[in-house]
Amino acid sequence: MRRPSRDLAFLLPVLAFVTLFALVPVAWLFFRSVSAAGGAGALAILGASANLRAVDNSLVQGGLSAVLAAAVGYPAGVFLGRYAWPGRAAVRAFLLVPFLLPSLVVVFGVLDLFGPSGIVTGVVPGLSWLGAGLPAIVVANLLFNVPIVVLFTAVGCEGSSRALEDTVATLGGSPARAFLDVWGASSAVGAFAGGLLTFLFSALSFAPPLLLCGPGCYTIEAQVWFLDTLGLEPTAAGVLSLAVVLLFLAPTAAYLAVLSRLRSGRRAGDRPSVRPLTLAPVPLALGAETAAVLLGVGGLLGAVLYRALAPAGGGAVGSAWSELFAPSTTARLGISVTGAVGNTLFFAGVAAAIAVLLGIVSGFALVRRPRRAGALGLVLFVPLLVSPVVLAFALAEFWRPLLGGESTVWALIIVSQASLALPFALQSLALPLAGLGPAERDAARGLGATAWGAFLDADLPRVRDGLVTAGLFAFALGLGEFTATYFLVTPAFTTLPVALYDLSNTRLVGVADAAAGLLLMLSLAVFGAIALGGRRVDL
Amino acid sequence: MSTSEPLLTVDRLSAAWGAVPVLRSVSFAVAPAEYFVLLGPNGSGKTTLLRTVAGLEPPTEGRVLVRGVDVTGVPTHRRGIGLMFQEPALFAHRTVYENIAYAPLLQRRSREDVAEVVGRMVGLLRLEGFEDRPPTDLSGGERQRVALARTLAARPRLVLLDEPFASIDPEVKQGLRTDFRRVLSTLGTTAIHVTHDREEGMFLADRIGLLFDGRLEAVGRPSEVFSDPRTARTAQFLGYNLVGSGDRVRAVHPSDLELRRDGDEGLPLTVEGVGPVGRELLVVLRDDEGRRFEARTDAGLGDLRPGSRVRAVWSRSIGLPSSPNG
Repeated sequence: MRRPSRDLAFLLPVLAFVTLFALVPVAWLFFRSVSAAGGAGALAILGASANLRAVDNSLVQGGLSAVLAAAVGYPAGVFLGRYAWPGRAAVRAFLLVPFLLPSLVVVFGVLDLFGPSGIVTGVVPGLSWLGAGLPAIVVANLLFNVPIVVLFTAVGCEGSSRALEDTVATLGGSPARAFLDVWGASSAVGAFAGGLLTFLFSALSFAPPLLLCGPGCYTIEAQVWFLDTLGLEPTAAGVLSLAVVLLFLAPTAAYLAVLSRLRSGRRAGDRPSVRPLTLAPVPLALGAETAAVLLGVGGLLGAVLYRALAPAGGGAVGSAWSELFAPSTTARLGISVTGAVGNTLFFAGVAAAIAVLLGIVSGFALVRRPRRAGALGLVLFVPLLVSPVVLAFALAEFWRPLLGGESTVWALIIVSQASLALPFALQSLALPLAGLGPAERDAARGLGATAWGAFLDADLPRVRDGLVTAGLFAFALGLGEFTATYFLVTPAFTTLPVALYDLSNTRLVGVADAAAGLLLMLSLAVFGAIALGGRRVDL
Repeated sequence: MSTSEPLLTVDRLSAAWGAVPVLRSVSFAVAPAEYFVLLGPNGSGKTTLLRTVAGLEPPTEGRVLVRGVDVTGVPTHRRGIGLMFQEPALFAHRTVYENIAYAPLLQRRSREDVAEVVGRMVGLLRLEGFEDRPPTDLSGGERQRVALARTLAARPRLVLLDEPFASIDPEVKQGLRTDFRRVLSTLGTTAIHVTHDREEGMFLADRIGLLFDGRLEAVGRPSEVFSDPRTARTAQFLGYNLVGSGDRVRAVHPSDLELRRDGDEGLPLTVEGVGPVGRELLVVLRDDEGRRFEARTDAGLGDLRPGSRVRAVWSRSIGLPSSPNG
C-alpha cells in the first residue's frame, strides 16, 4: 500500500525551490513594477516605441527562425528517425552539441563564417549579408536550433508503429498513405515541438541581437536587460518582464503539451521503428539533406575552433592565447581567465547537482503518483516559462535586498542556473523513470530487502545512466549560461561566457576568438563524456 | 485443397540479415483456398519468409509468383497480399468499423459497398456491437478478430498470418482458431499461417511445412508429416522421442513409450519430473547419455518421483534415415 503523503513529501523540496527561487520573486517583481507604474503607466511603458519594436523583433526573429529550422530540420529528422545507417548513433550524439553550446559561441561561429573577416565571405563575398543584422541573427538561431528539430522529429518517427506501417502497405496503402495514416503525424508533432522550442529560444534570445545587430534588433529579453542595467528603468523593465511572460505563456504551454504528446508515443524499452537504408531516391535525398545540415552545424563549430587557432588578420596563435591569460586581460575583465573558468566550473557543477537532486526526488514522486504528474510537472517547468533575464532580474530584485550585497551574487547565479537546468534535467530523467515498474522493487522486497535497499538495488541501477546524463547535461547548460549570469554577475564572479562577451566588446578579436575556442572545448569535453558513455539525452 | 495452378509459388527464395542467411533456397507452392501452415521453432526464418513473400523484405535470391506472375519486384501495396501480425496493429484512433473499412476506402469503393463489406466481416468474425468502439476497449482476442476482418476486407489474393494467436489466452485461443479457419474457408481465401505451436499447426492446416534454420525440411498433409517425419529434427519438433544412434535412429511417440519399474528389458531411464496432464501422467526422463525423453501414460506405476529408475519399451517406432541433428 502506498502512502500518498510520503510520496508528496518527496515533492516538497522541489516545490519549495521553485516557489522560493522562481514563483515568489517573479510574482513580487511583477506586483512591485505594476504597482509603481500604475495601470496607465504600465500601458504607456508597453506602448513605448522601443518596447513595441522589441516585441516585434522577438516575434519576427522567433517566427522566421522556427519556420526555417522546422523546414531544414524535418527531412534530416526523418532520415535519422526512420533509417538505420552506419554512424547514426554518433550523429545523434553530435547533434546535441549546439544545444549544449553557449549561445555566444554560436554567435562567434556565425561571425567567423560570415563576418567581415569570415571564412565563407572570404571565398564568397556576396554572402556577407549573412554576417550582420537580422539575417545573421536568424542564421545563428537556425544553426543553434535546427539540431533540436532534427532530434525531436527523429523521436516522433521512432514513436510510430512499424507493424502498423507494414500493415497499411499490405492493405494496399502506398508509402504516401502510410505517411499520412501512420508516421507523418508523429513526425510532424516532433518537428512542431522542435519548432516551438526554436521559437521560444529565438524570440527570447539575448546574445545574438546584442552582438550581431544592436539595439535596433533587441528582442524583448534584451530590452528588459537594457532598461534595467543601461536605461536604469527597473519599473519599466519589470512591466516589460510581465509582458514577456504573458506573451510567451501560450507558446510555452503549447510546447509542453506537444512534448507530452510526443513522449506518449515513446516509452522506455520501445523498439524504435527504424528500417534498413536502401538506395531508393527518397532516403538518398533525405541523406543528402542530412549531410548538408551536419555540414552547417559542423562548419559552425569548425569555424570557431579554426579561428581560435588561426586568428583573423594573420596574428600569431600563441600571442592570442598568451594574451588571454595575460595580466592586461585580467585587468580589463577584473578577473583572470583562469579564475573565470574556475567560477564557471564551480557554478555549473553546483547548479547541476542541485538540478539533478531535485529532478530525481520529484521525478520519483511524479512517477509514483502519475495522476498528479500533469499539474505538478507544470510547476516544475515554471523556470522554462520565465525567461532567463526575467528570472535573473526577479532574483536580483527580490533576494539581494534580503540577503545583502555582493556576497550573495554567487548564490543567486547558482540558483538561477539550477532553475534554468531543472526542466531539462527532469526531461532527461523522465524516460528512465517512466521505465521503472514495481516488479523489480517488489521482487527485492519479497526477497527481504528494506524499502531503502530495494531502491538501491532495484531502482537506482536502472536510472543511474539517466542520472549521469542529466547531470552532465545540466552541467553543460550551466557551463554556457550567459543571459541570467550576465544580469547577476559582478567582476569577482565573472564566468567564461561573460568574460567572452566582455572581450568581444573590447574589440580584442583574437583574444575573444581564443576565449570562444576555450569555451567550445570545455563544452565539447562534456559532450564527449555524454557520447563516450553511450548515453542518450532526451530534450 | 484444389489441384489447380498454385496461387502462390515460392521459388528458391533466400534472404539474409546483413551477412547472416535467414532463408536458404526455400521452395513451395500453395493452392487456391488452401490453408498452409509453416511450422518451425523461434528463429527458423518463418516471419522473414512471410515478410519476403509480402514484399516487406527483399530476397537475396529467388522469386515469388502469384498465379504464375513474378511479383518479386512489385511493391508491397500492389501485391494484393494481406499480412496479419502477432500484435494486431490496429489504428488506435479509429473505431472498429473504421479499421475494417480502411482498405475498402483506400480502394475507393462506394459507400454502400464499404458498408456491405464491413457488415459481412463483422458478421463473419462475430463482432456485432463492437463497431463503434475504439480498439483500446477490446480484449486481445477481439482485436485479433478486428485485425483479420480488416485484412480480409481488402479482398487479398492471399492472407499471411504471423503467429496470430501467440499472445492470446489459452481459453480464447481455441475459439479463435476455429473461427479463423471457418471464416477463411467460407470466403475461399488462401492463407499461410506461421506458428511454432505444433498442435495449432496440425489442427488448422490443409498442409504443413516444417522450417528449420531457413530450410524447408518437410511438406505434406499433417497426418503424412506426422506419421513419416523423415528427419530426426522434424521428429523431435513434432514431439517424438529419438532412440538408437547412428544410422539406426528411430522415433517413438510419447504415448507409445511404455515405462516399467521391474525387469531387465528396455532402455534404462531416470525420471526427472512427473505430473498429471489431464487424465494422463506426463513423465520427463533422461537416458544415461543425457538425452531427454517424454512419456505419456495412464498406467499405475506406483510412486514415480524424480530420481526413480525405470525401463522403457515401445511397440511402435518410425525408422529415420539421419542422425538426431537432422
